[in-house]
Amino acid sequence: MSRPLLAVSGLTKRYRRGGKSIAAVDDVSFDIEPGETLALAGPSGSGKSTIARLLLRLIESDAGRIEFEGGDFLSLSGAALRARRARLQMVFQDPLAAFNPRATVARVLDDPLRIHGIATRSERPRRIAALLDRVGLSADLAGRAIHEISGGQRQRIAIARAIATKPSLIVLDEAVSALDVSVRRQILQLLLDLQREERIAYLFISHDLGVISAIAHRVVILDAGRVAESGNARAVIGAPQSTIGKALVTAAPKLNRTSTQGAADRQ
Amino acid sequence: MTALLSIRDLTVSYRRDGAEVAALKHVNLDVAAGERLAIIGESGSGKSTLALATAGLLPASSRIDGCLDWFLPSSPSVGAKAPPSEGGVKERQPSEFITRSTHTPLGGRDIGFVFQDPSASLDPVMSVGEQIAEVAHTHLRLTWPQSYAWAKTLLERVRLSDPDAALRAYPHQLSGGQKQRVAIAAAIAAGPKLLIADEATSALDTIVQAEIVALIRQLVAEDGMTLLFVSHDIALATELAERIAVFRHGELVELGPTAQIIAGPRHAYTRALLDAHLGLDAEPMPQPAGASR
Repeated sequence: MSRPLLAVSGLTKRYRRGGKSIAAVDDVSFDIEPGETLALAGPSGSGKSTIARLLLRLIESDAGRIEFEGGDFLSLSGAALRARRARLQMVFQDPLAAFNPRATVARVLDDPLRIHGIATRSERPRRIAALLDRVGLSADLAGRAIHEISGGQRQRIAIARAIATKPSLIVLDEAVSALDVSVRRQILQLLLDLQREERIAYLFISHDLGVISAIAHRVVILDAGRVAESGNARAVIGAPQSTIGKALVTAAPKLNRTSTQGAADRQ
Repeated sequence: MTALLSIRDLTVSYRRDGAEVAALKHVNLDVAAGERLAIIGESGSGKSTLALATAGLLPASSRIDGCLDWFLPSSPSVGAKAPPSEGGVKERQPSEFITRSTHTPLGGRDIGFVFQDPSASLDPVMSVGEQIAEVAHTHLRLTWPQSYAWAKTLLERVRLSDPDAALRAYPHQLSGGQKQRVAIAAAIAAGPKLLIADEATSALDTIVQAEIVALIRQLVAEDGMTLLFVSHDIALATELAERIAVFRHGELVELGPTAQIIAGPRHAYTRALLDAHLGLDAEPMPQPAGASR
């Protein structure tokens, strides 16, 4: 087994609420291998999104270690942190909220290329066209404003921006949850194609166990900030051991092919 | 089948960038009294427009053609609708329904509406108790003390763990699921004939979603309400609805009993929606070679 791309150990984040200290993330440990998809699942408030923010160092942890690409990620600062951050990208649930809605597509993709010094000014239009092509969009879209394009196109732009800096890991925080089901499948396929071709690892945060079993290799199920169980995604979802794992599986909407009432009255 | 609502040739257009855009096109649909009907579709299918049109909540700038014929009790007597003091289940007589009434339904009294985002539909600076009591006071003509007592009964019915505390709470003090329970309590406070839930569970996590769906099913059964369940999630719809109407680009493409829609969809789009559902037993999508499994 190769050295993990990301090794999280003992990660802890506490908040104070009403004078009490609440652990949003409580002693959480997991690894991600290069080119692997690890899913984080759990109900609202289980700590999924807090872990994403801790990984990106949008907030600072109270305890624990994060090793990324073989180095201590939490001790980085300044230029070293910015350089390493190019290798760790994020795609949010709602790209309309993540982008300036009046920015053009070209502007959104120009930023990472410029900020991380990936391409010169004269090279950038060609690089932007290549990124659009990479995510299955026409180069003609470059001049359009973010608010003018569809939700599926916007999420493709978010993925294009994320891969612009050639990351080894992308955190996908409910990245397909707001999409129509037909669009969702296309975006998932795009993510899988990118993973196969570029060996990008994903931390796939989702409450949707169906999506997780379709694309993730392993899953970590969280409950109240702690790891409730983890393992091969289809094995865990097929036979959950933890209370919360069982509750999530029971609650997942199922196409009930036998009768309209079979799944009723579970309370 | 006793119809509650008959929708005939309904076309709704909005003005957008100076042009008329049809959100619904020539829709014909009968809603039976007491049935649970799911309205399914993706973005831009017109499903929410149908819900809003049914509730009379379309913006004034929209253009509406066609008609909605309601078959409601001719003169809802106010006293008869008053809640029982001990919050029991009300008996409903089929004879209550008469044919072809000119009585126009009133939002809040005849139609209860639950929106996707309870943070947006509840008033942030009004206590939960007052918001529910206001519905009872307005539509049932109860006194304020009676209205508050009724609000407490409703909070018990939607199974909030501490109804007394919830009465005095403000929406921001509640979780998303608790807020949606409050929104449901307000929606059913006046004993509506029709409950419309428009993506009412879409913003909730899976576990809370299942609880809210179970609650809606129970309340609809106990009160004999008709349910319009608007959702993008066809699997969720099959768990709740007796019939499913599939919308696409403003048109009703398929309508049928849930079992038939699942087992033998006639329209290619319905099949595509069913195929796009990723269940727990979903086949893994093509995986990158060499990754650990």
